[in-house]
Amino acid sequence: MTATAPPIPEAVAGQLVGEGRTSLWRDTLGNILRQRNAVVGLTILTFFVLVAIFADQVATHDPIAVLLGQEEGAKKLAGPCIHALGCPAAQPEHYFGIDQNVRDVFSRVVHGTRISLQIGFLTVGFAIVIGTLIGAVSGYAGGKVDNTLMRLMDVILAFPALLLAIAIVTVLGTTLLNAQLAIGIVAIPIYARIMRASVLSIKERDYVTASQALGESGGGILFRRILPNALTPLIVQGTLGIAGAVIDVAALSFLGLGAQPPTAEWGSMIGQARNSMFAAPHLVIFPGVALALTVLAFNLLGDGLRDALDPRLNR
Amino acid sequence: MTRFLIRRLLLSIPVLIGIVFVVFALARIIPGDPCVAALGERANPKTCAEYSRAHGLDKAIVPGFFRVDGKIELRVADIPATLTANQFVDYVGSVVKGDFGTSSKFGLPVTDLLLQRLPATVELALYALLFAIVVGIPLGIISAYRRNSIVDVGTMMFANLGVSTPVFVLGLVLAYLFAITFKDTPLALPPSGRLAAGVAVIPLAKVWGLEGLGGPLRLILDFASNIYTFNAIVTFNFSLLADTFRHMILPALALGTIPLAIIARMTRSSLLDELGLDYIRTARAKGLRDRNVVMRHGFRNALLPVVTVIGLQLGGLFGGAVLTETVFNLAGVGRAVTEAIASRDYAVIQGFTLVIAVGFVIVNLIVDISYAYLDPRVRLA
Amino acid sequence: MSRSPRWSPLLALCATAVLVFTACGGAASPSPAASAPGSQAASQPPASVAPYDGLVYPEDGSSACGTEGYSGQIGSIKAIDAKTVEFSLCAPDAAFLSKIAFTSLAIQDSDYLTTTGGGGEALFRNPNGTGPYKMTAWTTGTEISLDTFADYWGDKPLTPKAVIKWSPEAAQRLVELTSANVDGIDNPGPDDFATIEANPDLKLYPRTAMNIFYVGFNNNFKPFDNEKVRQAIAQGIDRQRIVDNFYPPGSEVASHFTPCDIAGGCSGDEWYPFDAAKAKALLAEAGFPDGFTTKLHLRDVVRGYLPSPVTVAQDIQAQLKANLNITAEIDVQDATTYLTTASRGELQGIHLLGWGADYPDVTNFLDVHFGVGSSDQFGKKWDDITGPLVDGAKTADPAARAEFYKTANNAIKQHVPMIPIAHGGSATVFKADVAGGHSSPLGNEALFAMKAGDRDTIIWLQNGEPGGLYCADETDGEALRVCEQVFESLYRYKTGGTDPEPSLATGCEPNADSSLWTCTLRENVKFHDGATFDANDVVTTYAVQWDAKHPLHKGREGLFDYWTYLFAGFLNPPPPAP
Repeated sequence: MTATAPPIPEAVAGQLVGEGRTSLWRDTLGNILRQRNAVVGLTILTFFVLVAIFADQVATHDPIAVLLGQEEGAKKLAGPCIHALGCPAAQPEHYFGIDQNVRDVFSRVVHGTRISLQIGFLTVGFAIVIGTLIGAVSGYAGGKVDNTLMRLMDVILAFPALLLAIAIVTVLGTTLLNAQLAIGIVAIPIYARIMRASVLSIKERDYVTASQALGESGGGILFRRILPNALTPLIVQGTLGIAGAVIDVAALSFLGLGAQPPTAEWGSMIGQARNSMFAAPHLVIFPGVALALTVLAFNLLGDGLRDALDPRLNR
Repeated sequence: MTRFLIRRLLLSIPVLIGIVFVVFALARIIPGDPCVAALGERANPKTCAEYSRAHGLDKAIVPGFFRVDGKIELRVADIPATLTANQFVDYVGSVVKGDFGTSSKFGLPVTDLLLQRLPATVELALYALLFAIVVGIPLGIISAYRRNSIVDVGTMMFANLGVSTPVFVLGLVLAYLFAITFKDTPLALPPSGRLAAGVAVIPLAKVWGLEGLGGPLRLILDFASNIYTFNAIVTFNFSLLADTFRHMILPALALGTIPLAIIARMTRSSLLDELGLDYIRTARAKGLRDRNVVMRHGFRNALLPVVTVIGLQLGGLFGGAVLTETVFNLAGVGRAVTEAIASRDYAVIQGFTLVIAVGFVIVNLIVDISYAYLDPRVRLA
Repeated sequence: MSRSPRWSPLLALCATAVLVFTACGGAASPSPAASAPGSQAASQPPASVAPYDGLVYPEDGSSACGTEGYSGQIGSIKAIDAKTVEFSLCAPDAAFLSKIAFTSLAIQDSDYLTTTGGGGEALFRNPNGTGPYKMTAWTTGTEISLDTFADYWGDKPLTPKAVIKWSPEAAQRLVELTSANVDGIDNPGPDDFATIEANPDLKLYPRTAMNIFYVGFNNNFKPFDNEKVRQAIAQGIDRQRIVDNFYPPGSEVASHFTPCDIAGGCSGDEWYPFDAAKAKALLAEAGFPDGFTTKLHLRDVVRGYLPSPVTVAQDIQAQLKANLNITAEIDVQDATTYLTTASRGELQGIHLLGWGADYPDVTNFLDVHFGVGSSDQFGKKWDDITGPLVDGAKTADPAARAEFYKTANNAIKQHVPMIPIAHGGSATVFKADVAGGHSSPLGNEALFAMKAGDRDTIIWLQNGEPGGLYCADETDGEALRVCEQVFESLYRYKTGGTDPEPSLATGCEPNADSSLWTCTLRENVKFHDGATFDANDVVTTYAVQWDAKHPLHKGREGLFDYWTYLFAGFLNPPPPAP
């Protein structure tokens, strides 16, 4: 029997050879675009990203400007008024209506896009950075270090996420940053586990031993051999994680523990409007739909990515 | 197998200790006083200082750390004296004896409150999970069967829509829709609560004349008794069953959309994995009907990871129903903890969170063990 | 956790001319009236013709007035015979009837207090009162069930059964009512009044406002140490706009700190009118022509004085910017920490807070906030405010008092420790077919006086769950309201009103100077557990709260907070903290 090396995953093979990388990425992109889930998710996401980038141009008013006394005819809690759809010209135009502080809801929802996307990326980014660090150290070092770190992760995982976040925010103080920190902390164990699993599975492979024999440093191996392997599950989980983070921070804001007024964050908009639902359902519906669509986009994208990048999937 | 079991159990112990410590520390770091929380605008420093003294709150929390006037202070000089004379040691001591303390808001033992609130959450979780399984698995199968078609995208979008819509929006909309828009129609559903007002549920201990029973057996009986569905079935009380069911529909729908997406997703990917394997190709080559291939052969093997996920979701649902309980005004554990945080009811915060976390660890343990039992490859790892 | 936003207890006969007020530790000497038989020996044989073994407190028959360390208003309480109780006060108190009608003075059975030890679950989870309803079950977190008390001395409740539920969300309460799952709710959201009034199946009952919402400054911190700055802000906020937009109908802009229904509350000049130009000029004069940056502190808790805290805060923020170029960053704090930091004077910016009346007197408003013993919320105190307040509290004559309060109010207007914004109204809503539906200014809706159509149960949905039902040791209006259904005091407030009328006492007569009150008790009154009501129950009920060293002075939290608000001091109070 020939000394055949164990099958080398395509992703790593490309790395080792150092060429054909462009075709690899193009291949991957092609794979992704072939997943309809991912395409739908990506489309919705692109739309929101564009809205977030051009928020100042898209919005019709200043999101925190109170229009009482400034705009003629602006009435508190007024429903949507679109002149093109028949609303009388005398009434001021507000696509999504007016809220309880006499502000334009459309502009607030538009600016909320920027805030929510920032929240999603920052929170998950933080969790991934810390989580991969812990997971890598844990997996590579093994033994007592591994055990202690993983038990710590288990402790964090055992707590119901929202309750832990509420407790952390109550201790640290109520700001959007602290809410993101709390949700980020709660999410760390997931990424730590992924990284550790990748490290463990790759650690013993021949090409890693070969690299070590060639004198490559531990850190180098970590970054150049192991991390790319962990990349796939990290990206997939990360995308899904962004969806979760956006909802969780919105939930904290809904409970009054996240974004501070007058920030136009979707969760706090819904939270403040929930007792006016009878008088003004539009205050809950528009931010609610925006929130649902954004999170849906990330979820679909995550699903699609998993389909595209999972090597075991029968194509 | 036994070695695996013992190893997993041993690994859980440090986790449990860690949980107790984190719960305790977190509860006590929260600034503010239960006395101020109780008296509101009428709180004054003299009364609350007296209250702290009476309730042992001016003792050291952990060695060296004291709480003064609602803020945490470190007194290094007092560390040696308070190494064993602190609230943490007291708490661990009483927990080990089974005493979780008394609620400062209600004056009731925490165990009593737990027995009343935990069944509500458990019942909600079970209904939500049932909904998630009944709808999620078929969706996953359909998606896998018609991979990458419009049907796939459609079903996945539908499944994901639930998890993407925040539970507080979904809950509000559902309550409004079914309670008001459909009022006076056969579709009308109650917007909150577990039962209609004034309906009395007779504890099982009373029904079966077991009121003399004590100890852990009585606790279990009382717990089961407060799961109204179980109570109704076992006493053949069909009006109670119908009432509970009607009240559970909307919250189960709102909460169940989260595990539904995950179960659907898991079913889909697990089934897809199976369908790629050789034996499926063989079956197809043999000319078997595709539906038979998928359902009889692929599905049963794909079920294993799905069952795992279901178990994990159950553990997560217990603590994660805070928003559903708030929106639907259910007296469950999640809401009890949020209210306890607001009124600084340390005993309840600690006791309830501990129970939720321990429950989660236990469920995880069971899932791991059953996974190992079912898949021999894992045992040997 | 949320409590009734409306938790004012006593409202006396404000319109009456005679409102003689007791001073704390007043110098008036008590007049011991007819001497009690003084029989407190417990060894008297209970023969049927033996004289009544009436309790006396303090037990040695002396009066507590003037004793060392005692600052309370009650001298002694004596059970003269089975149906007569005598209250001896340290100073004349014409408001006595209002006080004894309060829920925390509901009469308990002395044997029941003894068997339960004055506290513990048995007492506060199993109320044993004399009221028309008795409690049958309390499912924690969900509901309290009441049923008719068969042996009640008076009229049976109009609806045989009652269920009390709770929900902290105003919209949820309205959904429950609109979907016909409950019969009445408390505190609809301010934006829903119009929707409710347009619904023919519902009926709205507005509640008068006995509270004040204010914007406070701490004069220890810049730039609020500058009086001109405070005066500028006082004129730079359009308070009418706040009340019009964010308060329910029935609310009004505050002309003074104290609501005008309270005698003497509105003496003195009215508050500054809104004048943005003048305000800006004054601010420039103070040295801030371009405004400044500060924080706006608040807590997100719904109260009768502030039904939409965050919304109002955002409007104030917008007004400060637009009218005065003051940039205020909103700081929503945790409810509990907020109160502590506010009363310790640690809030450096502008803070929002309010107060609901306990007692219908100016001292419950002005003295609590600006008097000598008030907290550090507003920073340093002013002598020209504290001085008149001390004088006003000591004076009996209403006209003379009004003069002192005029001086105090004008000084408050001058110094602007805070800006009074609004007196917030609220309401209850009932199904249209509930006969006798009403709202009580004190939050004491009487469910037993309502008939829920032809249903046999009336279902009431309030804001929060009671902590316990031993109302001597409760401060939450949610608990007090439930107690009102199952307990009774010597007097009670008229249903839906504030005038006291006889209840367990058929009448309480004062002596010439209102310092000695003799109450004649009703006969054939039973407690829910079958015990008979007599004078000793009254004495024990009061003594247990009054004497901090009484063996039964336990309660649920051991605070008995309302006693101090009603009668100023405990007998044998605990030594002050070092």
